[in-house]
Amino acid sequence: MARNPSTDPPADLLGPVQGEVSWFCCGTAWGPCSSTGKGACGTCNSGSLQHAWPNASDACWSITRPDRCGVNLSRRTCGFRHRTTSLCGGASVVTTIADCGPQTDLFCGERSCCGSTCANNRLIDLTPAAYSRIASLSTGLRPCEIATG
Amino acid sequence: MRSRRDVLKSAVLGGGAGVVAATALGSLGPEAAFATTSGPELEPGTPDPDFVEGRIRSIKDNTLFVLGSNMVFHRIRVVDGTSLWKLGPVPFDQAKPGDGLYARGVRMPDGLLAAESVWLNIVNIKGHITNIKDQTLHLDHNGKEVLCHVVAGKSVAIRSDAPPSADLSMLKVSQHVQILGAWRPDTNEVDIATVFSPH
Repeated sequence: MARNPSTDPPADLLGPVQGEVSWFCCGTAWGPCSSTGKGACGTCNSGSLQHAWPNASDACWSITRPDRCGVNLSRRTCGFRHRTTSLCGGASVVTTIADCGPQTDLFCGERSCCGSTCANNRLIDLTPAAYSRIASLSTGLRPCEIATG
Repeated sequence: MRSRRDVLKSAVLGGGAGVVAATALGSLGPEAAFATTSGPELEPGTPDPDFVEGRIRSIKDNTLFVLGSNMVFHRIRVVDGTSLWKLGPVPFDQAKPGDGLYARGVRMPDGLLAAESVWLNIVNIKGHITNIKDQTLHLDHNGKEVLCHVVAGKSVAIRSDAPPSADLSMLKVSQHVQILGAWRPDTNEVDIATVFSPH
């Protein structure tokens, strides 16, 4: 279903935004990750402090469509820094954009919680190196706060 | 108060004084550990020196010899305070040559990684369910089929913010999901730890 473009400024221009964070692999890798490649920016590696962002380009936005979940995020391109803070303990990591993702619209309305602290919608994916600085990889998905780095 | 990193270092420098590490670190619950220490700030975008990715080539005593996918060789020391994951928490003897891994710890001056956490064969993949047969989900992941096996007593599903459930019967063909699990080395098969679905 088509939605009218929002005239509101992107949420992340007004300050930190809360959402869900997961992790993904990229670059040279083993197992199902071995065919992933180096991401939209051509620099992505699982062992580097990097992330995927849903609005890294027009082509990226047309795939991820966070607006379908009611979230309007700023255009930020390869190399832009974000700080991701876990809402499950407060650890944070600063990373740079290296890929397009996550595909927010496929998980619209999803909600993750730590106790009574919750956040909705997938807004950022970290590399394993980055995610494991703020949470165990075995958690898979966590509520977080995202700000400019 | 000594940091978790200091304790890991001393555990290695002391020749693997694991009892010291385990006692001083207290609970190894992941959230507690990651809440207290995430290490020093590093330059964003660069490789993290305290992180290793690769496959185990050999194991000697309490050291994993790992070849990174980028062909860089690593030595990872496991001490009593190290947490290991392979579809769940496991003892050190579950680490096998051929296993893929991610590891985080403290890099010693001689290049050894004193491991805080080792995740064996862990994968976190997204895709569409194309078929469900017996206890296996067929997942289209980036155009390739991955067979994801339900493991009794281990696999759970999380639907949005609902509590984890061992009942995976609500999963449907064509649904988009995220599967956290353990890869079966050198196959396109994964044992499921958690299936995340929005609905």
